[in-house]
This record gives sequence, C-alpha cells and structure tokens, in this order.
Amino acid sequence: MKFLTKFPILPGFLFCLGLYLAILPMGSTRSSLFDFFTPESKPETESIDLEGFSHIPVLRGGRVKPMDSVARNTLLVLRNKRTALDESGTKIPAIEWFANVLFDPEEADKLKTFVVDHDQVLGLLNRKFAKDGKFYSYNDLEPYLEQIDQSARESGKLEREKQDSFDQNIIDLYRSLILYRKLKHTLSPPAPPSDSEMIADLGIEDLFFNPETDPDQVSEYQRFRDLTQAISKEADSIRMGSNEFAKVVFMLDHYSRANLWSEFFPVPPEPGDAKKKWRKLGESMVGEEPLDSQEKRNLDPVQFSSLLRELVLTEPNELRKKIDFIYETEKMNPSALFAAQYAEAIKLRRDVDPILQSYEDLRISFLDKDPVRFNSAVASIRNACEERAPDQVGKINFEKTYNEFEPFYRSSLAYIIVFVSACLSWLCLASDSAKFNSKHATSFRNVAYQLTLIILLAHTFGLLGRMYIEGRPPVTNLYSSALFIGWGAVLLCWFTEKYLRLGIASAMGAVVGCGSLVIAHNLSLDSSLNPTGDTMEMMRAVLDSNFWLATHVVTVTIGYSTTFLAGFLGIAYVMHYLLFQVTTSPNSSGKLSTLLSSSRKRVEKTLGSMIFGITCFSLFFSLIGTVLGGIWADQSWGRFWGWDAKENGALLIVIWNAIILHARWSGVARIRGISCLAIFGNVVTAWSWFGTNMLGVGLHSYGFMDKAFNPLMSFIVSQVVVIALAYTVPILFRRPSIKTG
Amino acid sequence: MSANTRKNKSPFSLGVRKKAFPWLVPLSSVRLTLVLLSLSMILIFVATLEQVRIGIRGAQAEYFESFFGIWYYPTEFWGGSFLNFIPLPIPGGYLLGGLLILNLIAAFITRFQMTYKKMGIQIIHLGIILLLIGQMVTQAIQVESRMQINKGETSNYLERFHGVELVFTDITDASESKVVAIPEEMLEVGRTLNTPKFPLKVRVKSFGPNCNFDLKESGENRGNITAGVDRGVGVSSNLSITPIEEDFSAEGVNFSYAVFELLDQSESLGTWTAVAHPAGNSRWELIHPKLAGLSFQPIRHDGRLWGMELRAKREYLPFSIELLGIENEFYQGTDIPHNFESHINLNLESGQKRKALVYMNTPLRHAGKTFYQYQMNKAADYSVFQVIRNPSWLVPYIACILVSVGLLWQFSFHLISFLRKQAKAAPAV
Repeated sequence: MKFLTKFPILPGFLFCLGLYLAILPMGSTRSSLFDFFTPESKPETESIDLEGFSHIPVLRGGRVKPMDSVARNTLLVLRNKRTALDESGTKIPAIEWFANVLFDPEEADKLKTFVVDHDQVLGLLNRKFAKDGKFYSYNDLEPYLEQIDQSARESGKLEREKQDSFDQNIIDLYRSLILYRKLKHTLSPPAPPSDSEMIADLGIEDLFFNPETDPDQVSEYQRFRDLTQAISKEADSIRMGSNEFAKVVFMLDHYSRANLWSEFFPVPPEPGDAKKKWRKLGESMVGEEPLDSQEKRNLDPVQFSSLLRELVLTEPNELRKKIDFIYETEKMNPSALFAAQYAEAIKLRRDVDPILQSYEDLRISFLDKDPVRFNSAVASIRNACEERAPDQVGKINFEKTYNEFEPFYRSSLAYIIVFVSACLSWLCLASDSAKFNSKHATSFRNVAYQLTLIILLAHTFGLLGRMYIEGRPPVTNLYSSALFIGWGAVLLCWFTEKYLRLGIASAMGAVVGCGSLVIAHNLSLDSSLNPTGDTMEMMRAVLDSNFWLATHVVTVTIGYSTTFLAGFLGIAYVMHYLLFQVTTSPNSSGKLSTLLSSSRKRVEKTLGSMIFGITCFSLFFSLIGTVLGGIWADQSWGRFWGWDAKENGALLIVIWNAIILHARWSGVARIRGISCLAIFGNVVTAWSWFGTNMLGVGLHSYGFMDKAFNPLMSFIVSQVVVIALAYTVPILFRRPSIKTG
Repeated sequence: MSANTRKNKSPFSLGVRKKAFPWLVPLSSVRLTLVLLSLSMILIFVATLEQVRIGIRGAQAEYFESFFGIWYYPTEFWGGSFLNFIPLPIPGGYLLGGLLILNLIAAFITRFQMTYKKMGIQIIHLGIILLLIGQMVTQAIQVESRMQINKGETSNYLERFHGVELVFTDITDASESKVVAIPEEMLEVGRTLNTPKFPLKVRVKSFGPNCNFDLKESGENRGNITAGVDRGVGVSSNLSITPIEEDFSAEGVNFSYAVFELLDQSESLGTWTAVAHPAGNSRWELIHPKLAGLSFQPIRHDGRLWGMELRAKREYLPFSIELLGIENEFYQGTDIPHNFESHINLNLESGQKRKALVYMNTPLRHAGKTFYQYQMNKAADYSVFQVIRNPSWLVPYIACILVSVGLLWQFSFHLISFLRKQAKAAPAV
C-alpha cells in the first residue's frame, strides 16, 4: 500500500482519465459532447463523403432515422457490435461497411459481417473457434447456405420452449443471412433469373437493366414506365392472352417481389401524399401489394382483367377514389384488390421518382470512386427528403452525432474508474502512516465523487438524447429500464456520498451503474427482445401513452433502482463486517487495527442508516408505481389488478420493502439482519425485472429470454451466498468482538 | 410507550384503548404482520409460477380467491422428479388478506399512536386496508363481458366471458320473439326443469363446461355422452362428444355442451345435443356446414315454433351501440400496432344518439359500465369490446391517494430530520 504514496498525482490522473472517457472523443466513438453544439462540417470535395451519406434519412422499423443508425443497428444484429470489420479483421466504421453492402455487394461479401460463436454451428461450417475466430464473411458462409437453411428450418419447426442453444443460434444465423440479403437488394432489386423461359417467351430480356448498354438501373425503370403508358392508352390490350399485358403483369410482379427483398424505405413521401408514407423502391414503381402475394393464386383472371380494364379507362382523379373504395369495401376479394393495385401502377404512377436516379448516381459513383458525383447525389437526396418530409427529418443530425457519442458505452467504462478510485481510497486508509494517507484517501474519495457527477452528466445526456429522439419518457422497454435503473442508483449514490463521504456510496453506485449498462448492452443483443437492432422501437398501441409511461413506468423503475441500491449497500456492509471478523483478532495491537476498529462502528452504523433510508425510498416508489400501474390497467383493460406476472413481481418488491422496514421498526432485525434482507431484495427485484418475463405468460411478457436464465440464476445464488456468509463466518471466526446484528 | 400513555389521559389514548381491547393486543403484533407478509410473498411467487401451468384465471381461482391452495413442486425444476409428489399447502389470498385486514385494524386500535408525528403511518395503513378490501370486493362483484359488433350493425346485449345458458326462443311471431333462458347453474344432470314461460319440461342428461367434439360417419358409435340423442343436429351430424377439463388459460377456448330431453307432461319428445361456440354460435357454419344448426335447432309444439341453442350468457342493455367503422393502423414497415379504434353511435333509450370513439387507453363509460377496445378484425370488419361493471372502481384511486399522502408525510419527516442531523454533525470531510 505504500506504493500509493509515491504517486501523489495518481488521483489527478484518474480524474483526467475518467473525464476523458466520459465526454471526449476516443477510438471508434468519434464524437465528443461538444460535437452536439457545433454545426455539421462541410463535406470534403476530394473524397467520397460518407459522413454526408450517413445523414440521409430513411424509414426502418416505423421510424425515420439516419442511414447511420440503420447501419449500426443491423450490424448489432449481424455481428453483435456497432462497428464492422474489413477483410483482414480490422475495425471499420459501420457506414463504410453499409455503403459497400448497398452499392458494392461483391466487395461487401468479403467483409467479416457475421458473428458465429456457437461450437456446433461452427462445426456445421467446418470451422474452429480457436483457429478461425468468430467473425465470418458472406463468402465464408456461402458454400454452407443450403445446410444452414435446412438446419434452421428443422429448428424452426420446434416449439420455442423446446429449442436448445444450437436451434436458436442457427435460426439467428439464418435470419442474419436474410437480413443481409435484404440490405443488399434494398436499393437494387434482385435480377430476374437469367434462364427463365417466361422471359424468353415474352421477349422482355431487353426491358431489364443491361450493364453494357444502360448507364444505370433507371433506364430499366423508364422502359417499364413507357410500357405502362402505352398500355394505359390502349386499354383494349388488357385481357388474358395479350402479350403486351403479360409483359406488364410480369414486370409488376417482378417489382412487387423486390419489395419483399427490401429492408428499409428509402423513398420519402411523395408530394401530395396525405398519409406521408415512405416507400420502398418497388413500391415507388408499382405501389403496395394489398394482400400477401400468395393470394394471387386465388385470383379470378377474367374478373381481374375486366375490372382492371374498366379502371384503367377511368379518369385519374376518379380512379383514385375508385381504388380507395375497392380497398375499403372489397377486403375479401383478391381479384378486385389486385386489379386496384395494378390500375394504380399503370395509370397513376406515371414517372420514375427522381430520388431513384439520385440513389443510382450514388451507386455508380461509389463503384467508380467519383467523389464529385457521389457528393452531389448525397446533397440532392438530403434536399429532397427535407423538402418532402420536413417534419420528419429534424432529428436526423442529432441522432447521427448521438450514435457516434455512444454515451452508455463511455459511461460504463468511466464507472470502472470511479470504482477503482473508491477502492484506492480504502487502501490508503489501511496504510501505516495514518496522517499522510488519510489525506490521500480523501483525495481519492473526492475524485470518485466528482467523477461520478461528470459521468452522470454523460449518462443523463444519453437518456435525454433518447427521450428527444423518441419523443417519449425515459423508460419504454426492458433495455431502457436497465439504463434508467443504473442512472437512478448512481444519482442517489451521488447524493448519499455528498453527505457521507466514505467512498462506499460512490463505489456501489459505480458497480450498479456499470452493471446495469452491461446488462442493457446484453439486452440489446437479444434477438427476441430486439429483433431489428434498434433499441428505440415503436410502442404498441396499448403502451402508446406518454402520460402513463412517464408516471407508472418511471416510478416503478426508480423503485427497482433504489431496491438494488439498498441491496448493494447491504453487500458492502456484509463485506465490511466480514473483513473485520476475519482480520481483527481481540489481542492484536498496532495502529492499523486500532484505527480500523475506531472507525468500524461509525461506518457500520452509517451503512445501516443508509440502507434503511434507501429502503424507505424504495417502498415509496415501488408502492406508488405499482398502484399507478393498477390505475393504468383500470383505464385500459378495466381491472385494477389482474394478478399478471409482472404486476405480481412489482407487488413482491413492495411487500419485501415493507417487510424490511417493519423488521427494523419492530427490532426483529438489526443492522446485519437489515443488510441481509436488503440483499435478498436484490433477488426479489431481479426476479421481478427479468424472471417474470421468462415465464412467457401475461401482458408484460416482452419475450422469452432464455439466454438470461443462467445469468439470473447465478446472480440469485451469489446473493444467497453472501447472506449465508454473513451468518456463518462469524460463527467460524468466533471472537468476543463488537456485538452487532 | 408507557411514558406516552401516562402523558395521554384522553379516552382515546393508547393505554385506554389497550385496556379496552386486551384480546386485540396479540393480533396487532408486528411479528404477525411480518409472518403474514412473508407468507404473501410465497403465495404470490407460487401463484405466478403456476400461471404457466394453469393460466392466470386458474391460478387466481386456486390461490388468490381461496383460503388455501395445494402446490406440487414443478417437475421441470431442479430435483423436481423427487419433490413433485409432496403436496404443499399454500395459504390463499382470502386467508392472508383477511388476516392482514384484522391485523391492521387491531394495530389501529391497540398500537398506533394518534399523534401528529405518526399521522403519516395511520394514513398509509388506512389506505392499505382500503386497497385490500377494495380488491376483495372487486373480485367478488366485478362482472366481465364482451360485446361483438359487425361494422354497420347494432347490438344491445353483452355476452359473459364465462358461463352459458340454454335458450329457447319463440319465433312464431316475426315482430316479437319470446326468450326463455336457463343459466348453467341450473343445468344439473338428472334434474327436470319446469317453467311457466316454456310449455315443455327440460330434463338435463349431461352438461359440461368444455368438450372435444367429432363428426362420426353414419352408423359409427357416438360414444356414451350423446348415445341417447335422437333429435336435431346431434343426429344429423352424428356428433360425438368427449368431455374435457375447463381450460382456464388466457387463450383457452371452452366448448360447453348439454344433452337434454324435452318432455310434454310425461311424454318424451326426444333428446337433443347443444354445444356453445365460444365466439358465438354463428361460427359453427365455418367449422362444418352440418353443425350450422347448432345456432338454431327448431321444435314445433302447440302451433308455436321454438329455436334452441346453448350460448354464452347474455345481458340485455337498455341502450344499444352501432359500429360505424374501425381503424387498425400499424407503424409503417413493422407489425407493431399503432392504433385500434372503433367509431360508434351510442343509441340511448331516450332516442338520443351520441357519436363516440373507443380506442386504447380511452374506454367508453356509460351507465355504470365501461367498454374497452378488446379485439378487432379489419378484414372481417368487426370489433369486440370488453365490458366491465365494477361499482368499486373508485376505491383503489382513493386508497392510492391516501397511501401517497401518508408516505410523503412520513418520509419527509425522516428526511428532514436526517438532513438536519447531518448539517449539525459535520460538514463533508
């Protein structure tokens, strides 16, 4: 411990390190807190402006977001990371990977995009984890596609509860491959099968894109438009058996199929569209399919073609009304519904949307490495989006910077520094030269305290950023509840430390803060909870109430947070208590033991009252939160209390906190007893937070998270072990020491 | 405490109260509270686990709405194969709830000090008593039903989620139909029912809350339950019925069935089968055309035409609801629903017509009943409301306010005194 005294600058160094981690740019998280207040930098003209490209707004998962978010979120699904790897395994920014996937699939197929870390799945690919690692490119996987497909199908037939880890991993890999293929085809529809007899029969080879003669895909779109315009002028050819009509039908089906292979919506709302719908590329060409394509089998060809002919002959304004009428009244009639869609594609969608041209410019110039053309296409797409969806693109720049700031990743690292500082402060106390080291201890404690405040700023900023982007209260799903629980606990710890500068509250705050952020990260990786990789998913209708989210959900989550905090302070107490049981003997003399035992009683008493005070908070918030939940349920389902699994979980926390407080008031438990009860509170809260979701019953079951089962069980066992130690160790090391408990 | 009692000489002082009710003192003990609360934890935990096996409604009936339940350690758990056969009694909701109420009331009388400083505690516990009583009352008197309306149509009755009735409808007169309904509680096997409104006697031969059914080939054996059936759909479809346990789970569908004989005085007119479709008897047609008749099995008697069916219990309303249209929107590119809403006309008895919207988190409250948007089918254009009558719905709101006020009161006292102490003791190190 003496070595600490030789480094008087260590506290200062730790402080700077924490500050750096919390707010300044580092490694792959390139933004700093200051970037939010500086305007976007001017694009470079010499190189391809991926920065500008990453700001292009698109719609995915019901929300308009920057290209950058789509890139990061899909990588989170594919690779469990928000960054990408190149061929050699070096980290590259998500957006660079994404541009390759969209525009240069051949190159993208070489990048190490997929995570495969299950031994049996690796075995299927004939790879070894130790030798080949866990990241693979599409080219690596391609030879095994058939086996993956077949295994995933077999696993998919099993019920969810009966799937083992192989089943789930192979299904995840299968889904990842589909997602990857969809990304590749979002901006360029899959080519038609080259050997199709149908194409030869119809003589439409020359309609499709020909890389040798056409400048880009838009030539193909234009030829299709010419075809539909021709047929809309000659409605008589709309009949079964007409070659012209068959061509149109074939191409229409082709573009409709392209919609299925499209992951996001790149085309902003068309001018005059009241519903402000974003469109996929195929939808921009031929509109949206009214029913699943499979339903085309149930078409009555005669009714279909005669209705279509009639519709095409109608005036455009009249036609719009007729189509809407068919969609409203003929919901069970596939012939009418598809006729309406085809009529829209033929008669109402007359031109190729200019934005498709811009996207094609992007693709071609990316391949040609032509920065001037690429950058001007980026600018024209962004301008078009701003013009066509002015109210939806306002938060795009913020979200882009926010992605790059990664507030929670930073905070989780910086919390470790706080914990280290607090631990060092105790080490100093235990050193021999008491006077000098108590000064040192104080400075370490102060560093921990001040750093906590700075990290809290980053953590709070992270929460506020999410609230701003989503336009919602802080807690909307399991992921954000983890963020919030950590935040609440750290905030409370900071206040506690403000009044009781022992380093304990800082240390425990850091543990809960860092732990909850790690949990949050793992939740974001769970494919059943977060299938799209976007942690800011849309809320289902019944949850779509900011008032109740802000009151019930936030209060209950604060209740979780404070109960955990009390539990972790309980652990701190037990550790402190055990340390003295083991290290101090009644006969020992010397400065260390006298110093320690003089402060011992004070520390333990303080810890006891901290646990008690925080449990009061817990009871308050969990009770109020639970009752508010009941009122929400009364508002939405008509019953105050329905014994739903999650409700019961919250009730358990309320009762447990009530038990702790009554035990203390009645003198049944003293400090050690209270601490152990508080530690068991961790078990109760963990059950309520995660365990109830694993049951897969009730209204709140967001997903059957089997991956979390083992960690949860280990956590519960660890807590029980600490409680058991608190009662067994004193018996094993019995000595006539200060009476507690 | 003794010092306190000496100071307090008023007739309501703690000492006086204790003396007046000495037998309440042990009942008011905190240790009893602790035991009861701990047992409640076990009850809630076990009942939550059991929801996986028997569903929410099953767990509610077995554990929360009873004095005790029997639990068998689940076989799926560690060591389950050895421990499963031991029946473990778990104290039920009524037992613990009742005892907690007693404990709290006793504490009010013999333990709580009626002082300004402790006022918070009393308010909190008063709120909790209200909450407990409110929940018990609700469980006892709340009635849940559903109301399904097709777009453009009007409905004036509710259907119970659980429970059926055997109904005879006189449709001889097209303008006014007469309905005789026999609730399932009266459908005891072997009983002969006789009502002045219905000219025939009904003898119940078999009744059950749920069954599997099967259409047998003609000539094939129908099995015991429907062996004696010689009239109606039971014969024409050669319907075989196997009774099964009622399914309490949330998604559970129960097909109640009844086999009954009609008697004119003592002369038998034949034996019929009736089965209730949980989503309404009009659905039988979709299951099999031969079963379509289960929604209306005719019998002519004394010049009058009666139709028979077994259906969900109904409650007719003095007003009616017309479904004008429905909206069911999803977030673009996802299958996450964004909005369910029904546009309705509320047609009152007085002839008044009110337009209304029913959507998520915004039910329609009218005449003591609340209509919640429950299910919706955009393709088939119908909407289902869950309808609840709960006269005690206000109790939890009051309880909530009491508890919050009490908690705030009490913890503010603690916090302020804590902060004062800290400020006095020493400024931060």
